[in-house]
Amino acid sequence: MTGHAEKLPEELKLVTAAHVKYIQSLDTKEDEYDYWLTEHLRLNGVYWGLNALHLLGHPDALPRDKTIEFVLSCQHPSGGFSAAPGHDAHMLPTLYAIQILVMLDALDVLEQRGAGKVQVGQFVADLQNRATGTFAGDEFGEEDTRFLYAALNALSLLGLLSLVDVDKAVEHVVSCVNFDGGYGVSPGAESHAGQVFTCVAALSIAGRLDLVDADKLGRWLSERQIAGGGLNGRPEKKEDVCYSWWVLSSLAMIGRTHWIDREQLIGFILRCQDSELGGIADRPGDMVDVWHTVFGVSGLSLLNYPGLEPVDPVYCMPKASIDRVMGR
Amino acid sequence: MASSHGVARTIRIRTPAQREADKQKIAVYRDLDSRLLALNASPYPSPAFADPSVLALTAEVLSRNPEHYTAWNVRRRCLTCGSFSRHSPGPSPSAPPGTSWAPTTPSPSSAASSPSSSAVTRPDPASQCPPPSGPSGTRPDPAIDPATDPATDPATDPDKTLRSELQFTFPLIRANPKCYWIWNYRLWLLQQAINLLPAPVARRIWEEELGLVGMMLNKDQRNFHAWGYRRHVVSNLESPALAGASMAEAEFAYTQQKISSGLSNFSAWHYRGRLIPQLLTERGAGDAERRAFLDDEFSLIRRALDVGPEDQSCWYYHQFLVSNITSASSRLAIAPNLPSADEVSILRHEVEYIKDLLEDYDEDIKLAFEALIDHILAIARLEDRETTAEERGELATLLAKLRASDPMRKGRWDAFEKDIGLSPSR
Ligand SMILES: [Zn+2]
Repeated sequence: MTGHAEKLPEELKLVTAAHVKYIQSLDTKEDEYDYWLTEHLRLNGVYWGLNALHLLGHPDALPRDKTIEFVLSCQHPSGGFSAAPGHDAHMLPTLYAIQILVMLDALDVLEQRGAGKVQVGQFVADLQNRATGTFAGDEFGEEDTRFLYAALNALSLLGLLSLVDVDKAVEHVVSCVNFDGGYGVSPGAESHAGQVFTCVAALSIAGRLDLVDADKLGRWLSERQIAGGGLNGRPEKKEDVCYSWWVLSSLAMIGRTHWIDREQLIGFILRCQDSELGGIADRPGDMVDVWHTVFGVSGLSLLNYPGLEPVDPVYCMPKASIDRVMGR
Repeated sequence: MASSHGVARTIRIRTPAQREADKQKIAVYRDLDSRLLALNASPYPSPAFADPSVLALTAEVLSRNPEHYTAWNVRRRCLTCGSFSRHSPGPSPSAPPGTSWAPTTPSPSSAASSPSSSAVTRPDPASQCPPPSGPSGTRPDPAIDPATDPATDPATDPDKTLRSELQFTFPLIRANPKCYWIWNYRLWLLQQAINLLPAPVARRIWEEELGLVGMMLNKDQRNFHAWGYRRHVVSNLESPALAGASMAEAEFAYTQQKISSGLSNFSAWHYRGRLIPQLLTERGAGDAERRAFLDDEFSLIRRALDVGPEDQSCWYYHQFLVSNITSASSRLAIAPNLPSADEVSILRHEVEYIKDLLEDYDEDIKLAFEALIDHILAIARLEDRETTAEERGELATLLAKLRASDPMRKGRWDAFEKDIGLSPSR
């Protein structure tokens, strides 16, 4: 399709200033009940918000020192991080903590004031099931390809992939593939765009994208785009901004973003904005939240929407941060 | 509000009274939450977790916020230090299987059964346990503890505790069917059933769980958690730990039922496809039976396509069946020893069917165009030859139709055109 975002109607422009304000406002809602009910997602929310701000070109819109203090306040002696102080450590907030520190170029605080990088890496590594290669989210053992991806992501950012059996992890990912080229949450499970993202990104980190049947997977992924331009996560489901990111980033990893309609997806994401108060929703007209805001902005970035910092499709972080930490 | 799905955007302006009410709610919640987290900071295992008030506290928090994962963990620790700590696997003299509790109704009378209020205020049965004096597992069997009456005191009976716990999570999972933490907690409870109860008793609990999954899937046919959970429950029910045997036939019948009530339920089609190899092996099916089975599946999906020719789910299952013929992967094989001539004739038959479908249907069916392309290429491959000029003409026509009916995926058609050698650029 021809045409560029610049030619979109006025109401279909990215409202950057409003989004920045929206994200900044998230930590000022202490008088709202929901603010307290979502405390178990606080660190996750900082990663989502900070990532969106970086991509929007406002990396300093959250106070750096305060953010680092908060991250450190979530660390446990085990090395793992919880989503908020006093909660239990878990794989996902541990990844988010590392991602935040990488974006802030502050990984060193783990050595200076935290439990040390190796201890963090060990927390992650200990969650690997050495028999099957997959990972649990915490000591209670729920296994899911999300955690496998989170582990490889976190360890590669720390430069500690050697702590785990990467080959076994790769084997596990391969065992989750389906006839349609997609991946499920575990062997035998239905293909699901979120799981495709985690599996393909994990293979990408492991340097084993050669194991992906890119044409077959690309076909399945491209069929996720439906009328209206948004992408769904499985056949015959509704479109959603978060699934749009997982499908799009997976297509990017296998070099096939041109298999869907760029302009229509841009239009869909922009229609999900609250153009007055900022933030992006799952679908047009719905309530915005920081989760869909970061995936919407990341999607636009990957689609080269003007004025955004480039995003890394594997890490869902600013490409500049990844280049710096990887010494590229 | 960290991630909301399908909630309409509204501008909420709170009245002073609402603000005041929110303030009260926040104060109550923060108090509960901080007491819970303070306790969680104490060393574990410790008798503190066995105190009945702690289990009640987690219930207060979780009924307000089922996503509070740490509260679920604390609840596990309570049980591990409490009523689960004094039991070892094997038959318990105080609880002969099948006599001490009511069967299969989802609402055992001993536990709180109304959705929230009673569930959160009634202390758990474990409350009556004295705190353990040492590390878990070292206490004597409560059946010989004179302080309690094992016949009526649920604290002495992990079966009753488990049932009361499952009951506690039931209204929460119904209200929050996509909350990972509740599903995980239930799985943990079910695992405890295997660890702590005699196999027949544990088995009954797992069987009832299959009923719950069925109910959840009736409410939402595609619930990803519920389907995954179902596979997990079934594989445990099949396992030696629960004295189980294969359930492939019953589960296959279940997919039939699900598909009948909703043809676009790809989750059911997917599960069906996954069950077939196991099913045929267990039936000891020979080549003729396997071929007949494949034919039946093709008939089934054709009937579905007649009703929903634009339904992706149906076309994916069709693709899955075709992949059994065209893919080398024996893992998928329904009829692995099919003679090559039969393979080609099946595909030719499908080509005729799809062409008829397109003729009967007024509109373009782009998935049918794609399927035809797949079939034409597969036939040439199976016959180990290049495509004929006639076939290439057909492919070009189909591709033109795809471009016209599905411009969104233009990039894919471009790549595909190049791939199959139709493009002048090659
Ligand atoms: Zn979403």
